[in-house]
Amino acid sequence: MYPAPIEEYVRPGTVDEAIAALAKYPEGDAFFVAGGQSIMQAIKSRLLRPRCIVDLQGVSGLKGITADSNGVRIGAMTRYREIAEAESLNGAYQAMRDAADRVGDRQVRNRGTIGGSLCWNYVAACMPPVTMSLGAEMELIGAGGASRSVAANDFLLGPLETAREENEILLSINMPAAPANAGSAYKKWGLVTDALPVIGVCAYVELDGSGACTSARVAIGGLGDGPAHSGAAAAALVGNKGNDADAISAALDAAANETETQGDLWADPAYRKQLIRSLGTEVVTTAFQRAAS
Amino acid sequence: MSNQTVTITINGEAYEESVPQRMLLVDFIRDKAALTGTHVGCTYEGVCGACTVHLDGEAVKSCLMLAVQADGHELTTVEGLAQGGELTQLQKSFNEKHALQCGYCTPGILMNMTEFLKDNPKPTEEEVRRGLVGNLCRCTGYQHIVEAVLDAADKQGG
Repeated sequence: MYPAPIEEYVRPGTVDEAIAALAKYPEGDAFFVAGGQSIMQAIKSRLLRPRCIVDLQGVSGLKGITADSNGVRIGAMTRYREIAEAESLNGAYQAMRDAADRVGDRQVRNRGTIGGSLCWNYVAACMPPVTMSLGAEMELIGAGGASRSVAANDFLLGPLETAREENEILLSINMPAAPANAGSAYKKWGLVTDALPVIGVCAYVELDGSGACTSARVAIGGLGDGPAHSGAAAAALVGNKGNDADAISAALDAAANETETQGDLWADPAYRKQLIRSLGTEVVTTAFQRAAS
Repeated sequence: MSNQTVTITINGEAYEESVPQRMLLVDFIRDKAALTGTHVGCTYEGVCGACTVHLDGEAVKSCLMLAVQADGHELTTVEGLAQGGELTQLQKSFNEKHALQCGYCTPGILMNMTEFLKDNPKPTEEEVRRGLVGNLCRCTGYQHIVEAVLDAADKQGG
């Protein structure tokens, strides 16, 4: 575990400089590094052999969380530690805090970033299903300052693949202003405390004045083909209330039934379905409670 | 391949060295600054936490960074904890509670738990155990380590 020789290390101060630094190399020879907690592993194992590393630590405007009437913006270089502590995410976007607080360990949360995780899009990661469930949009910027916004669902492709072009930088993760009665929650299960998720489930619900669900999104991580929405669970939750345990249980049964699960060293397909049911029931119930409070 | 000159301040002393870009920060600390209290317990996979140091005051694994990434930053290693020969309370508690056997993992745990206690001066046992997830110890079963951290919190009057 040691990096292959690296020819150049640069630490640009602006997005434009970062994109220009990367563009000096042929595709695949230069990489952006955010917190480095995933990509450094890939570089040390020589899965990646970058000739040039463009370190984003000094790029201004990529860090921090802002919340206003337009919604919530999380800079791509915002670290798990800061997300876990961000009270402005409570309620509608609290799943983000649930997930960030349980990534890896203290040392990883001190350096790892939400943007780095999303651009790496590892199958056993928490932020991909969370951003899908919360309906987040990824704001990307490319050469010449051209920017575009891509829904999380369209940004996250197969394992280790995203819609980000090589010369684009993920600027921020944006979530729309949520209605008053909205809540979310995330929980994962792994082999040891705070381990990579064997399965992770994120739920987002919006309620009407009576407490009945008007809209829901349930996303599942830890799947072999990458995170997936459960349309069946979302549809089954609409019209139901948070104290209707049978309805919630039925929605998660539907999620487990429609989701294709893989078997590996950690869990067989049936156990993964059971995790979808049990974690899902818990997070949906919590999301209802948060939406109502 | 060319080297790059970096200046990294460790325990208050600036080290200016020419290093290959691929050099890991932990190797800079051990081989260039000759501060061998920072250990490598796994084969640089980032799983053991023995190489934990403070980067600008925060606990990070120094095998998950390149030395060039730390250029211009301030580090504290285990050698920088004691001031004027006086051990910190956490170090004293580790001694008194027999929280080290072979001692190999101890520097990383001290660095992680020093920052942990700053964030959370009155932790519960469960919080201490969760705080230790990033550090592996193969000797003590963690019981004495947890006792030492709780003892330090108690004596620091958190």
